[in-house]
Amino acid sequence: MQAEKDTVRHRVDIATSGLSGTQMMLGVALVAALGFTLLFVQDPMVHDSMHNFRHGAGVTCH
Amino acid sequence: MTTDYLERGALSGLVGGLGYGLFQATVGNSFIAGLERFESGHSHGGGPVVDGFTTAAVSVGGGVLWGLLFGIAIFGVGYYFLEPALPGRDATRRLVLAAAGFLTVSGAPWLVLPPQPPGVEQALATETRLALYAGMMVVGAVVAATCVLAYRRTATRHTAVTALATGLPLAMLAVLVALAPERTVTGPVPATLTAAFRWTVVFGQVGLWATMAVVHTWLGEPELPTVEAEFQATAD
Repeated sequence: MQAEKDTVRHRVDIATSGLSGTQMMLGVALVAALGFTLLFVQDPMVHDSMHNFRHGAGVTCH
Repeated sequence: MTTDYLERGALSGLVGGLGYGLFQATVGNSFIAGLERFESGHSHGGGPVVDGFTTAAVSVGGGVLWGLLFGIAIFGVGYYFLEPALPGRDATRRLVLAAAGFLTVSGAPWLVLPPQPPGVEQALATETRLALYAGMMVVGAVVAATCVLAYRRTATRHTAVTALATGLPLAMLAVLVALAPERTVTGPVPATLTAAFRWTVVFGQVGLWATMAVVHTWLGEPELPTVEAEFQATAD
């Protein structure tokens, strides 16, 4: 690794040069969808299926 | 490509998630089933709409996805961007990132809204609690970042100075918790059992983060692409 040049700024440059906007948005959307389903969906079926998980992970669900 | 980072993050998240799913299957599900016996009437009205087996199975699956989510978001994307800023090397870096992740996702919010056993009635509305939780997540991330920055600024000083400067931002959490609105809860579960449940939840999450950090360390250093190589890869 190039020790003297390696900064957070440098990492952002590599990512923005290599990934298209669509790829980045797709990634963010997938992570957001997974997080939202696990944490916030209050639909009775999802809520009751996830009940033990949400209590067990300390998620403030209901 | 940056996928080398993502793959390692996802793999450590998967292993951590499988471990956490096992914890949910062996400890979480039965502990919560036991705690539910204290409830006289189920608070959701009309009882659960799915049977107990579905809840148990989906909750175990949820645990696996929980690990996968953190693996991709924190150890994949997060480690890729933050690697140059993290102090130390090898396992230290991963453990610092895991500690920051735990503080952000669970630690700081739990100081205001601790994990509750089933059947607890909370005085605050769900929306208020979600806003509080989200706010404390931001606070947790800021505190973790401040700790790392303070460490980096004082790393060359005396050990006691470094330790004090690194730990000081954590005291900010105590001030904010004291300022948070009153959060009254009433529940049928005895206080000692509630405490035991909370610590079980805490150790479960700490175990998940520690497993991900260890697996990520064990996978070794991902290969960092150069800006030029990225252009080459996308030009094809």
